[in-house]
Amino acid sequence: MTGNPILLLLVLGPMAAGIVSYLIGRRNKALRDGFAIAVTSAEAVVMLLLVLMGGEVSLSVPGVCGMGLSFQLDGFRGVFATVTAYMWMMTTIFSREYLAHSRNRNRYYLFLLMTFGATMGVFLSDDLFTTFVFFELMSMASYVTVIHDEKPETLYAGGVYLAVAVIGGLVALMGIFMLYSVTGTLQLSELLAACQAAFPGNEAWFYVLGGCILFGFGAKAGMYPLHVWLPMAHPVAPAPASALLSGIITKSGIFGVLVLCTRIFAENAYWGFVILLLGVVTMLLGGLLAIFSLDLKRTLACSSMSQLGFIFVGMGMMDLLGEENALAVRGTLLHMFNHSNLKLVLFMAAGVVVMNLHKLDLNDIRGFGRKKPLLCYVFLMGSLGIGGIPLFNGYISKTLIHESIVEYIELLEEGHSVVSFAAANSATLFHVIEWLFIITGAMTVAYMTKLFVVLFAEKNRDRAVQASFEANTHYCNKATAAVLAVSATVLTILGVLPYLTLNKIADLGQGFLNGVSPKHAVNYFSLTNLKGGLYSIVIGAAIYLLVIRLGMRVKQPDRTYVYVNRWPKHLDLLELVYRPLVLGLLPTVAGFLCRCLDYVLDGLVLLGRKTTHKQLREGHLLPKGFELAYVVGSLLDGVVALLNATFCKRNPIQADFVRFFADQSRIYEETKREVMSGVSFSLMMFGVGIMVVVIYLLVV
Amino acid sequence: MSPYFILVPILVPILAGILLMTFPIQDYKTRAAAVETVVILNTILVFVLLLNRPAERLYLFSFVEGLPLTLNIDGMATFFGGLVAFLWPLATLYTFEYMRHEERVNTFLSFYTITYGVTLGVAFAGNIVTMYLFYEALTMVTLPLVIHTMTEEAQKATRKYLNYMIGGTAFAFIGIVFYSLFCTDIEFVLGGNLDVANLGEYANIALLVYVLAFFGFGVKAAVFPFHGWLPTASVAPTPVTALLHAVAVVKSGVFAIMRLTYFCFGADFLKGTWAQTVVVIAVMVTIVYGSTMGVRENHIKRRLAYSTVANLSYILLGVTMMSPLGLVAGLCHMFVHAIMKISGFFCAGAVMHQTDKNYVYELDGLGYAMPATFTALLISGLSLTGIPLFAGFVSKWSIVQALLEEPSIMGYVGVFVLLYSALMTGIYMLSLNVRGWFSGGTAARQDSARFHDPSWLMLLPLAIFSVLTVALGLNAQALLAFVQSIATGTF
Repeated sequence: MTGNPILLLLVLGPMAAGIVSYLIGRRNKALRDGFAIAVTSAEAVVMLLLVLMGGEVSLSVPGVCGMGLSFQLDGFRGVFATVTAYMWMMTTIFSREYLAHSRNRNRYYLFLLMTFGATMGVFLSDDLFTTFVFFELMSMASYVTVIHDEKPETLYAGGVYLAVAVIGGLVALMGIFMLYSVTGTLQLSELLAACQAAFPGNEAWFYVLGGCILFGFGAKAGMYPLHVWLPMAHPVAPAPASALLSGIITKSGIFGVLVLCTRIFAENAYWGFVILLLGVVTMLLGGLLAIFSLDLKRTLACSSMSQLGFIFVGMGMMDLLGEENALAVRGTLLHMFNHSNLKLVLFMAAGVVVMNLHKLDLNDIRGFGRKKPLLCYVFLMGSLGIGGIPLFNGYISKTLIHESIVEYIELLEEGHSVVSFAAANSATLFHVIEWLFIITGAMTVAYMTKLFVVLFAEKNRDRAVQASFEANTHYCNKATAAVLAVSATVLTILGVLPYLTLNKIADLGQGFLNGVSPKHAVNYFSLTNLKGGLYSIVIGAAIYLLVIRLGMRVKQPDRTYVYVNRWPKHLDLLELVYRPLVLGLLPTVAGFLCRCLDYVLDGLVLLGRKTTHKQLREGHLLPKGFELAYVVGSLLDGVVALLNATFCKRNPIQADFVRFFADQSRIYEETKREVMSGVSFSLMMFGVGIMVVVIYLLVV
Repeated sequence: MSPYFILVPILVPILAGILLMTFPIQDYKTRAAAVETVVILNTILVFVLLLNRPAERLYLFSFVEGLPLTLNIDGMATFFGGLVAFLWPLATLYTFEYMRHEERVNTFLSFYTITYGVTLGVAFAGNIVTMYLFYEALTMVTLPLVIHTMTEEAQKATRKYLNYMIGGTAFAFIGIVFYSLFCTDIEFVLGGNLDVANLGEYANIALLVYVLAFFGFGVKAAVFPFHGWLPTASVAPTPVTALLHAVAVVKSGVFAIMRLTYFCFGADFLKGTWAQTVVVIAVMVTIVYGSTMGVRENHIKRRLAYSTVANLSYILLGVTMMSPLGLVAGLCHMFVHAIMKISGFFCAGAVMHQTDKNYVYELDGLGYAMPATFTALLISGLSLTGIPLFAGFVSKWSIVQALLEEPSIMGYVGVFVLLYSALMTGIYMLSLNVRGWFSGGTAARQDSARFHDPSWLMLLPLAIFSVLTVALGLNAQALLAFVQSIATGTF
């Protein structure tokens, strides 16, 4: 083991603490909760100190798990490890109240801390092998926190989550194996050079292995068409787990894709273009699903998918822009960072609603937030941030990604043929993508407005329920309130002071993405940049008014409104394609082939027994040596069969002439033999002989 | 140490078994104590022997000139003998509890003990004729164990077992006869003894002979198309399926193929020939077949048996890469699989023994009633799937390294097959645990509350195997270094 062992402590510490908390929890529940909070807080503090001190720390542990693990702490990893620890600290504190009346809490804390350690492992890893090891551990451990309440629909959603995680993990592993075999190294620091050296001549292999790794990590990052688990797992998981799942665990998938985009396919325009298109589809689809969703947490989950799409767009632009990708790099990085913080806030706010009402349907929870200023403040900060409203944090990162698209269009229009293939050279296409980007931003505004209006502006249909909502002023305890307030305020600070906060974070992290600071600092609040934000708001308002207010609300007889689900029920990728494919087609085909294999040898034996090694049975065998009987009998049998088939259908003739003739001739033969061997027959023949002789003498 | 000492650990269990058969012990405790003492004593003998290896081989006698019987302890023998000696006492411990209420326990235990000696014979054999002899004897002494319950199903299974084994022997015999004609010296030597220089036009015949012998010995290793007996034979009592059909018998088959490939024909001679292609394809088909059937099967023990079919072929996939790295991977997985699969079978047996439940869908909620058993099952399942931090991952990783040593289509297909199998393994092993821990809700949990974990006799082996699985997953350097030295001949 060489290097600073503190990194190992950061990864294994929480896992060990998980086991300790389990043991404590068997004796004392309050102490366990406190212990878990202490551990996560301590880790957050240590991470923050490490980042503030600066400098790079590395560690390699050879021999473990066959290949040895290696860890590294630099700017980018420092930022995201700190975000991880911060989010875990907040959610662990929140968990105490959220799960106060739940069962199996020992198990929950054990796996919550296990997932924590594993996620830290992913972000601190220095080679893809280590990344993969902890990525898998994270998937497995987080499964248990997702299925916490063990309801049937939870188990179903958890099953989908686990299936996507396991399949994705294995496909990624396949890609990693191929990468190792082609380049001979998995060290992130060496990969860039190794891939650039190995790429010419191995293009096909590289795209295959890239596809495999993208499949695995992209699935975790909610990339279309592997996003199916995301809208299912989030609503059923406990809110703190949803916050982590959406906020940081998806980012570990992004981490893998980032390695692809910055190490293996650095500045490869073809790759960038594919990622860009996947990103556009993901963000649009996520936005659409979120608009149509009627479930509080599901809306937030679809929103996550949409925001992850933005990040994919950023990564795609990173590779398309090549050397001039400073804006894309910083935008991607900051949107990852912002989205983690935003989803932490939003899911915890949603958690407060669930904790009180145990319901998620928008019609049921309508009006819950009225006269609850704290909840309103928290949710508003989250909504404004994620909606990309100027002066809030999401605006900064979206602007950067948007600017990178604009920059690319400018390059194209100036006549720089940036890349060698036609699609990427079409300025029109990128104008379309730019507008899709703005429209998705508008969708974000629209669905967040929907949630906000439902929770805080509209009243519940049932007046009694509304009255009970408004009477409920003690909807969370002080610790939860503090956590909510702090994490929401962080968002505001980030948004108002981007030059002091977000720019610094981007400076810290961009080295990992091979980024450099832009030539001239971006003025976030310049008129051109504000224009993009303004477009989003205006279009978003239009979408909200036209689609949601007019299209999704139905007037009831008592003059109130009800939100209805307008999404076609059968339009579900999981039910439409994946389930029939994985559970229907695959086992049937595989099973058929296996059965065939099963019968290869046994079938040979059976064939032998039916033909060459046929066993003799009594009663069915004809006596030998009756050729004539056989021929004639067969002939007559044929005639009988013919008659049975034609004239005598009603009363078929029951006869077996072969046997009949054979029996007759046997009787004849036997009689003959007996007769021939008898004494009287001899005497008779003797007599006959004498008579013949006498007649002969008389005649002659 | 005198080479005659090699005979002792082979003969002691055989004699003890015969003695137990002639003078049955009726009392449960006395019998258990007696058998366990003999087995532990013999294990100690084996380890003493392995640590003080005799320098030369032991020549016993010759059938005819050129077909001598010899015993020798080299690296491979140390590895396999050590593995068997380590597992046997633990499995015997488990047997006592499991067989407590069965009939004819004396006969069962005597054959169980005799099998120990015969398996050591396979391990310590110095040439292919001797190995063949013990290999056949192994079939015969395990026959009474498979048929033990005497039900119609067991009789049928035994007939199938016998048919396959005898059939395989015929192929193996052809291989041995031709090999004895083609070789310079019949003894095992790393790198092979084939008289390649004088082979000339017979090279293709030699390859054909290899393929025949591969499949002949492959019957015990359950290679397609000779895999049918293994799932059927899982009607036998759990200690038999666990130790014999996950370790002793099947691993003897794998061991014999390793001997045949690396110590008789020589990996260099076979590498890159059509013979290699044929056997690699058969092995890959077996992996896909075994793991798919594992998912389809609902009977727990049969499911594990299909898993064994697939995993034996993992070992052979490494072996058939015909490279030292391949042998390293094969040996490594041989050891790891032995531990985790025996653990899996013991868990299944514990469930059957405690609850009389045989099918996967009956497991709902049992995890809370039998936490120790299901934890062991979880560790075994994660390890079989190849999740990092468990032993199975290390050995699979080394197999993949062997596959990708030289980039080739075959290697990539092999990796793909392994990953497909890992996915299937994940499904069929983890679904056991998902059933046990999460399914059925409170009702199932209350329903199964009347069951509990088995006694320490069953739990101790499980605990040892689980700890070992995790420990090896964290650091397998010692094991890897050891098999490395065997594969490179420096042991």
